[in-house]
Amino acid sequence: MANNETDIKIVAFLCNWCTFTAADLAGTSRLKYAPNIRIVKVMCSSRIEPVFILKVLLDGADGVFIGGCAPGDCHYSKGNFYARRKVALAKTLAKSAGLDSERIRLSWIPASEGPRFAHVVNEFTAHIKELGDNPARREVYI
Amino acid sequence: MIKGIWVEGPVKKGVLDFLNGLLAEKKIKAVLMPAKNKGGDSYAWFLMGKDRLLESADPVPPVMTTQGANVVSYLTKKGPVWEKTAVLLRPCEYRAVIELAKIKQVDLTNLVLISFDCPGAYPLEKYVNGDPEELDESFEVCLGGVVELDGPRNVCAICHRFTGTGADIEIGLMGGEGKGFWLVPGSKQGEELLDGAVGSESDNIDVREKAISDRTIARETKRNNTLDSFQETVMGPENLLNTLSACINCHNCSRVCPICFCRECYFDSKALSSEADNMLQRAQRKSGLRLPPDLLLFHLGRMSHMSVSCVSCGACEDACPANVPVSMLFALAGRNTQAVFDYEPGRRLDEAIPHTVFKFEELKDFETPYIKEYSKV
Repeated sequence: MANNETDIKIVAFLCNWCTFTAADLAGTSRLKYAPNIRIVKVMCSSRIEPVFILKVLLDGADGVFIGGCAPGDCHYSKGNFYARRKVALAKTLAKSAGLDSERIRLSWIPASEGPRFAHVVNEFTAHIKELGDNPARREVYI
Repeated sequence: MIKGIWVEGPVKKGVLDFLNGLLAEKKIKAVLMPAKNKGGDSYAWFLMGKDRLLESADPVPPVMTTQGANVVSYLTKKGPVWEKTAVLLRPCEYRAVIELAKIKQVDLTNLVLISFDCPGAYPLEKYVNGDPEELDESFEVCLGGVVELDGPRNVCAICHRFTGTGADIEIGLMGGEGKGFWLVPGSKQGEELLDGAVGSESDNIDVREKAISDRTIARETKRNNTLDSFQETVMGPENLLNTLSACINCHNCSRVCPICFCRECYFDSKALSSEADNMLQRAQRKSGLRLPPDLLLFHLGRMSHMSVSCVSCGACEDACPANVPVSMLFALAGRNTQAVFDYEPGRRLDEAIPHTVFKFEELKDFETPYIKEYSKV
């Protein structure tokens, strides 16, 4: 089904202060990047619970992207460290359940780096394309 | 600190005598421990305070009915107990109490935690439907730590933390061969209570330590092997769904879980409910939708909430009406997540729960590190 490039769906949770602003900058700088991500803005990357990540994957999205401020630069000074722990938990659980933990990515993108945002999104989209369709998308019994 | 006091004689009677002695000397005001029900077919928890324990009190019951940590949490929900109260807990119950104390669901003020070398427990169903007297008898034989319990619960068979290390007083059964037991203090409070206890200063306690370390090594190997082969059978969404296919969405496992302390559970809340239209869309997308939906999300999501603190007590499996091997699933998830944070639930009170703390440099495998240079697109 998802052989078509635009069929790949990635849900991106971006923190308001850094990664979302970087996405904004990429937009205003007219940078082109893969159109597969659907952005959900949150105030801090630590708002993302493992449950959100697992739900996204189980509901059939092909990838989950979590973007936060670089370590040490968090707007709330330590939110992204908690986010890292939560993502580690989600990845470990996904792995124990045999889900593909490669579909989850946590990246740090500062507000001023629009080009980096475009680059990371392109890279992650290419990676997901390689992994192919999320089998959970068509699994009835989930 | 004294190493331990050896008390000769029948184990259960000896423990009850010791507690009755504490009550009589007014060193403690009440005891919270299991006792046989009136009908004699199962156990329940009782707070005993007058001047003697109930006749049917049993310090080492062969089944775990209500998880002790839930009982202690209930007792201290509205504040600490006012007078010194001893609580008799299985090692897994003790560890759950410590976990709950960390998240302020248990107030440890004035509580004296007493635990014992646990031989394991029978599945609740087996005990309730079986012949209690016969099972009691075969359980009694295992108290000395020589014989392994026959037909225990799945998690008990692979339990590697079967001693109450860290409790104020440990009742050492391992190595006693049923001829007696040791009273081992684990804290200053415990030592004070043991002062003047009937028994002899122990010189044979290394027997217990040896028996414990032997069994720990054997059990650790068994646990890892069992969980590894269990992981093989549940890996992958398909296998996992097969394992969980009998689940009837009753959420009993979360209700009896001591670690699942939330008054309102996220998975019972409106957060995950959606309109019929939404479900219809999902059904059309994949040509069918199981209702109620999100079976896997409930179990995985619950694991994300409790697995780091999971003490492998097995209360979930006792409560499961569909015989889903939930306790093994959670033990497996717990083993994996606890390893990531190098955390062992209930080990120490001052060891913070992983998601409440962090280190600046850690978990590099789980993030894409921020590097100054990246290849231009």
